[in-house]
Amino acid sequence: MKLSNRYNKANILTSIVVLIITGIIYYVVIHFILTEKLDRDLAVEENEINQYVNTFHKLPLPASYLDQQISYKTLSGIISEREFLNTIYFNPKERENEPGRSLITVVHLDGKTIEVTITKSRVESEDLIRIILLITLGITVVLLLSLLLINRFVLNRLWRPFYSILNRMKAFEVTRMDTIEQEPTKIDEFNELNKSVNAMAERVRQDYKELKSFTDNASHEMMTPLAVINSKLDSLLQTESFTAQQGALLEDIYHATGRLSRLHQSLLLLAKIENNLIPDFQNIELKEMVEAKSRQFQELLEKDRLILTENLAPVEVKMSRYLADILLNNLFSNALRHNVSGGHIHIELDQQALTISNSGKARQLQTKIFDRFSKSVDSEGMGLGLAITKQICNLYGFRIDYREENGEHVFTVYFGD
Amino acid sequence: MKILVIEDEQALLESILAYFTGEGNICEHASDFAAANEKISLYSYDCILLDLGLPGGEGLELLTKLKQLKKRDGVLIISARHSLDDKLAGLDLGADDYLVKPFHLSELKARVSAIIRRKNFDGDNVIHFNEITVDVSAMKINVKGNQVILTKKEFDLLVYFLSNRNKVVTKNAMAEHLWGDEMDLSDDFDFIYTHVKNLRKKLLEAGSADYLRSVYGIGYKFGDI
Repeated sequence: MKLSNRYNKANILTSIVVLIITGIIYYVVIHFILTEKLDRDLAVEENEINQYVNTFHKLPLPASYLDQQISYKTLSGIISEREFLNTIYFNPKERENEPGRSLITVVHLDGKTIEVTITKSRVESEDLIRIILLITLGITVVLLLSLLLINRFVLNRLWRPFYSILNRMKAFEVTRMDTIEQEPTKIDEFNELNKSVNAMAERVRQDYKELKSFTDNASHEMMTPLAVINSKLDSLLQTESFTAQQGALLEDIYHATGRLSRLHQSLLLLAKIENNLIPDFQNIELKEMVEAKSRQFQELLEKDRLILTENLAPVEVKMSRYLADILLNNLFSNALRHNVSGGHIHIELDQQALTISNSGKARQLQTKIFDRFSKSVDSEGMGLGLAITKQICNLYGFRIDYREENGEHVFTVYFGD
Repeated sequence: MKILVIEDEQALLESILAYFTGEGNICEHASDFAAANEKISLYSYDCILLDLGLPGGEGLELLTKLKQLKKRDGVLIISARHSLDDKLAGLDLGADDYLVKPFHLSELKARVSAIIRRKNFDGDNVIHFNEITVDVSAMKINVKGNQVILTKKEFDLLVYFLSNRNKVVTKNAMAEHLWGDEMDLSDDFDFIYTHVKNLRKKLLEAGSADYLRSVYGIGYKFGDI
């Protein structure tokens, strides 16, 4: 639930309750006051009748009073008490029954006890109460509406910087080395949030940079000793006084140093792709490159008696030639390495995708196939080839996909999403 | 051939010097920027092997200096920095080639030989070895007057052997030379054997002596018997 919704709910609920209670109190109090006033008027009337009776020793005529009805009834025996009550009476002027307020009292005339009922119309006071109630209700509705509108528009605008910051945080990628821009706002809390987020991003970026430059420097520094080992091995080989056994040992050392230097080059390359340090962005005729690559790998294909089939359409993609070469190298090497003797490789190239499928040993689908140093048990590679391939694809917004289909391993690079 | 090796790593320097010295090559060396600067100002070389990270200065500045002096020395940059920018900057400044550490000495030698051939013969790019004559620009091989037809790979292999004559060249180095080191090849270089076998057969058929020898299964040696 959104904060503003939660806030709205509480706000509106309280407003409704408070307004209803206020309305009820309003109604009761006004009702009470108006009834009091009617009662006072009735008492004044009673007083007038009493004075009239005392002065003239007769009952006043009922017709001589406006807006009120007076009726007399001679009582015998039981004397009822003086009381106010709500009644319904017939208004001859309006010719209809109307709610009224009556005072029943007793006058003594010539030894007779006469019950007098004075009735006044309650219609006006009822109308007044109704109007007051309607006004109250109207105000309530208007208030609620304005509350809703305020919440909807003002709150939304108030929270806008927050969502904007949130979006920027979501889009933040440490490898891209971009900054989270300052969102201009006058609200202190958001300004503080903005500052904290920026400070955090800056820290993360700094740490990342240091880590990267460490990897970079470490790899560079290791290249020199490796170069020394390599050159010493080459020199040692020239002395030519080895037995076959020593020769085999030398070969093993060559293999190991070769792997080590390739490993370093791969790691450096990964770091460079991640930091987007490969500049030569250009149009690449992919079809020509694939064909050249097929020629380059021909001897290796022949060695394992692999049959290569191609179905290539002319496709132009925008990327670095260097990286395109590495991408194809890795996919080709992979198709070769995980193949079986006498197997086949098929390459399909169209405007949407480049697909390389090859026969190979069945193996469980590895979801981590594109992770660094992930490789199958019998693989001679370093497990970096596909990680590099994936990074190259990421860099140019391509999508790479692996699936196992009818005993074939299929890699597809989709240009564009 | 007169070669200057500018390299601050002593062990590496020694290996390079040992590999290049002999067969009429004269090798000089410099281990820091000042010494290198002095040498290139005073003398001329057929080829300069230049390490970019030098104590006392940046190797690229030496290239600028060479340009200012209007020298025609061939320059091969050897650097631990596998950076495209450095490579392009170096080549822009007039370097002839760029080799990334670690490298095989045989590869270094092949590249230096190629630079020197280009510089010295101005297009007339020919290698002579006993009865074998290789015209590198025209890609023609002549043995005792017989034309030898080789595939591209076999031809490259022969030129590589001739640049490293009397040296043991590993299969690993040969594979990287012929297919590029970016190829991420498997460690099994036996497929090299086919090419070497074919090359040897074709040379023998044309009447050349058998100069190729396999060495401990690691590599081959092409040279005087």
